[in-house]
Amino acid sequence: MSDALESGDKVEVQWKGTTFSGMFISKDEKITVIKLQNGYNLSLENVSISSINLISKYSPKNVVRGNLTGKGKRVFLLGTGGTIASYVDYETGAVKPAKTAQEMLYAQPDLARVASVDAEIILNILSEDMKKSDWINIAKKVFEKVNQKEGVVITHGTDTLSFTSSALSFLIENPSAPIVITASQRSPDRPSSDAFFNLTGAVKVAQSDLGEVGVVMHSSTSDDTLDIHSGVRLRKMHSSRRDAFKSVNSEPIGTVDGNLNIHWKKYEKVNGKPTKLYDKLSEKVGLLYFYPGLSEEIFNKFAETNDGIILAGTGLGHISNRFLSQVKDYTDDGKIIGITTQCLYGEVNLEVYTTGRNMLEAGVIPLHDMLPEVAYTKLSFLLGNFDHDTARNLLAKNLRGELSERRIE
Amino acid sequence: MNYLSEELNDVKIGLEIHFQVKGRKLFCDCKGEESDTELGSFTRKLTVVSGEKSEKDIAALQESLKGREYEYIKTENSCLVEMDEEPPHAPRRETLDTAIVVSLILGCKIVDNVHFMRKIVVDGSNTSGFQRTGIIGVHGKFKMDSKIIGITSVTLEEEASKKVREDEKKIVYSLDRLGIPLIEISTDPDIRSPKEAREAAQNIGLAVKQSGMIRREGSSIRQDLNVSIFGGNRVEIKGVSSLSQIEKVLTKEIERQESLLEIARVLKGRSVSTDLLLEDLTNSAFFNNSEIFTKGVRGGKKIYGFSLPGLSGVLNNGKFRLGKEIAERLRAVGIGGFIHSDELPNYGINEKAMNEISKRLGSKKDDAFGLVVLEPSKIEICVEIIQSRVREALNGVPAETRAAAENGTKYLRPLAGSSRMYPETDIPLIPLNSSYIEELETKVPPTVEKRVEYLESMGIPAQEAFSSLWKEYDDVLESFVKDFGTPKVCAKFLSVVYSSENPNLNKARYLTMRFSKGNIPSESLESLYLFGEFKLSESSKLTLLESNSFDYSLQLEDQLGVREIGPEFKIKSESNKKLVKIIEAIVKDNEPLIRERGEGSFKFLMGTVMKQVRGQFEGKEISDTLSQKIRELLKN
Repeated sequence: MSDALESGDKVEVQWKGTTFSGMFISKDEKITVIKLQNGYNLSLENVSISSINLISKYSPKNVVRGNLTGKGKRVFLLGTGGTIASYVDYETGAVKPAKTAQEMLYAQPDLARVASVDAEIILNILSEDMKKSDWINIAKKVFEKVNQKEGVVITHGTDTLSFTSSALSFLIENPSAPIVITASQRSPDRPSSDAFFNLTGAVKVAQSDLGEVGVVMHSSTSDDTLDIHSGVRLRKMHSSRRDAFKSVNSEPIGTVDGNLNIHWKKYEKVNGKPTKLYDKLSEKVGLLYFYPGLSEEIFNKFAETNDGIILAGTGLGHISNRFLSQVKDYTDDGKIIGITTQCLYGEVNLEVYTTGRNMLEAGVIPLHDMLPEVAYTKLSFLLGNFDHDTARNLLAKNLRGELSERRIE
Repeated sequence: MNYLSEELNDVKIGLEIHFQVKGRKLFCDCKGEESDTELGSFTRKLTVVSGEKSEKDIAALQESLKGREYEYIKTENSCLVEMDEEPPHAPRRETLDTAIVVSLILGCKIVDNVHFMRKIVVDGSNTSGFQRTGIIGVHGKFKMDSKIIGITSVTLEEEASKKVREDEKKIVYSLDRLGIPLIEISTDPDIRSPKEAREAAQNIGLAVKQSGMIRREGSSIRQDLNVSIFGGNRVEIKGVSSLSQIEKVLTKEIERQESLLEIARVLKGRSVSTDLLLEDLTNSAFFNNSEIFTKGVRGGKKIYGFSLPGLSGVLNNGKFRLGKEIAERLRAVGIGGFIHSDELPNYGINEKAMNEISKRLGSKKDDAFGLVVLEPSKIEICVEIIQSRVREALNGVPAETRAAAENGTKYLRPLAGSSRMYPETDIPLIPLNSSYIEELETKVPPTVEKRVEYLESMGIPAQEAFSSLWKEYDDVLESFVKDFGTPKVCAKFLSVVYSSENPNLNKARYLTMRFSKGNIPSESLESLYLFGEFKLSESSKLTLLESNSFDYSLQLEDQLGVREIGPEFKIKSESNKKLVKIIEAIVKDNEPLIRERGEGSFKFLMGTVMKQVRGQFEGKEISDTLSQKIRELLKN
């Protein structure tokens, strides 16, 4: 009997000598889930159920979600996975992600008050499953919109967000409209979700004169201020907090307050130059975290399969002296080896200790205070679009604000 | 209606009883004890998005209408989990065990898997905007005297934050209580009177406390009450914190509901309408002498008057209080100061002004009018709320959630539907297999009746046996009686010891021990325990000396001076005199029998004596005194 049941059907269940009426939700090999009239789910072992009888079939209500487009300057929402807008069907308890602009406005009522939006979901993957080809696809779509001077907000999972923001920063030169990425650390089915404020704030930033990639996320655990980070200076620094994203070695480029007013600090404005899209990323670039005990075998394999590697070295940027001769062989071969620091905060300096000086002699390129992930996407971009010598020359040069000469913290 | 003296079938009451569980918090490693060390704060907002706009939960909607901000104070016993900055950890096994044992005590069937849900709560009391809750047991039966009360469910959930203060824009909560494990017991609506409700709460409470895992602090047990009367709707009353309050609150609430039904009957014969004639009266002279109104106008507000067709007399005539009901609704959305014609003349508005306002608003016979002073932006919602409450008045009792208050109940929000729950995906299903449940079945304590029966068999009076269970010192009482005898003395003394905030068991044990050795009289126990001394007579007293909290000694002061009394000391006390008196009376009453049987009458008389003095004196003392008195009589 229960095999023919569909989620939402009203049923009566005989279980351990007692009877429930409720709503059938699901059944697998082991467990049948019934939603009681008081809203609770009961997960019953199939073997302990003596019978399930259908009372009435589920007839889903015809839901009118309106055809809101919102009021205000137009913004394009690009969904790439990671749920930033969803709604809960409390009748069945199902959480449904918003897939269209209408659904997004329905799920995010504040949004309709600040912008007229259009939306497209081009990817629906977990951000840890993101590949370089995905970055290129996102960049192409974003280019199409910003080239028409339409601000874009990309919603993204938080895990690899800073890789994507960095890749987009390099792939799109001189954007003619803001490119803004946002995310949420608490899913939007929860009343406490950070998604509501993050997305609305991101849309406001996408209506501004920002001429670079910005990432808009909570600046503290409170729902009162958002930070606008440069796409090439931020990192996820906490696994779960709302304010996980921090600008490293630089200040956020601006903030959004609780009334959705933007307070800019130092930021790139749209400069009127033609927007250019680079649509290639080298697949032969790798990022290696050096650790005591790293075997030469692994290092060799890693270096051999890549044209360029970014090393996250210890402290000022060091790797063990054991690798020096190999490093020299690889750089002599024309491979590019860029050095960043695992400390994240502070600059690489290979002039202080002998190891560093030896590394320089072996041909590595110190990458100042560039973050390892940023250096990795940058080198992928350079080797994808330029010849080796140009790539080598540009790696340690400031192209998108990814490094700085001066740090105050 | 005389619902207090007899059970009435048209009153239906169900209880939701909440118990805090001892130990750590449910979903993190923080301590469960409340802490008031403040470690900074943060602010949040809550947003509710429902699947179906038409069904957007009304309770949730109303809270969000207030547009409030919530501030949370961090405490030493809170972490990222309470801050909603870290996913919940797996619930603690021992807490789960307690919930299962409680379910078994109440005769529930235990679920196959614990399936935690998110119950939407947007008053800010949970940082997440929902309360995590899971059913542990269902369909239980609780026997109370000759009656069976159905147990709908036993759930394990997280306690909400404690409200510290609130104003129009912000509610401040402390995180210390958030996440303490809470067991909620819901009964079926099987209870028929306020008195029975109190008894049920007390009996269920007593039964559950036998698990030994329920917190004892003042605020750790709370009840919500569901009550409806015939012809009305269900009203949920939140936050009844004491047993004595249950009866009082329910009585008042039933009176309120009955009055609402009567109002509905009165209104049926009138032409009531929700077409309110609204007028801006800001610039009229009616209010020149009214501080409430002139103050509001100075603050930029406007005065609005509106007709309330057909409501004269029912707003407030001493018996009917529909005006108060409307005012409560308005206050819930931050509109205060609703004034209606039934309470005028007053507030600086005289009869003449009143009549003119009435005329201006086109009032006819049976019509009333209302006045508010508020921001123009709020008048629309104000009128809507009044219209909706008047409409509901025609049908009697609206379904509402109310709060227990000093004198009855006050409006909180519309009754929440059942449709605001969805699965908690951060916590996997917890299977409860049958061998695990069987193991826990062995930990189910004996029923209250059995336990009381056992304590009574030791000679402890029933009343004191019950109260030892309620205050959870029955184990202590049992051990005292085993160690020292004299069950009545022990029971009486321990009831005094456990009525204090922090019972000092060492002291109580020392004193009882000294009593059992005959060093001090039973009457001195309470006084020595509480005040450290006891006056034996005008000229002699006992003093308890405490050199440190474990080391006590006793001192006697009389004509012979001050001296320490050791275990060998025997006191000739008032209690002996009392015993002698009782025995002398019995001996006198039975003189013919004693003369007939001689010393052989001892066995028979001992039984008679014991009936009167059991537990108050030592057996040897009783038998010695009795045989002495028999001998004395026979000698004469």
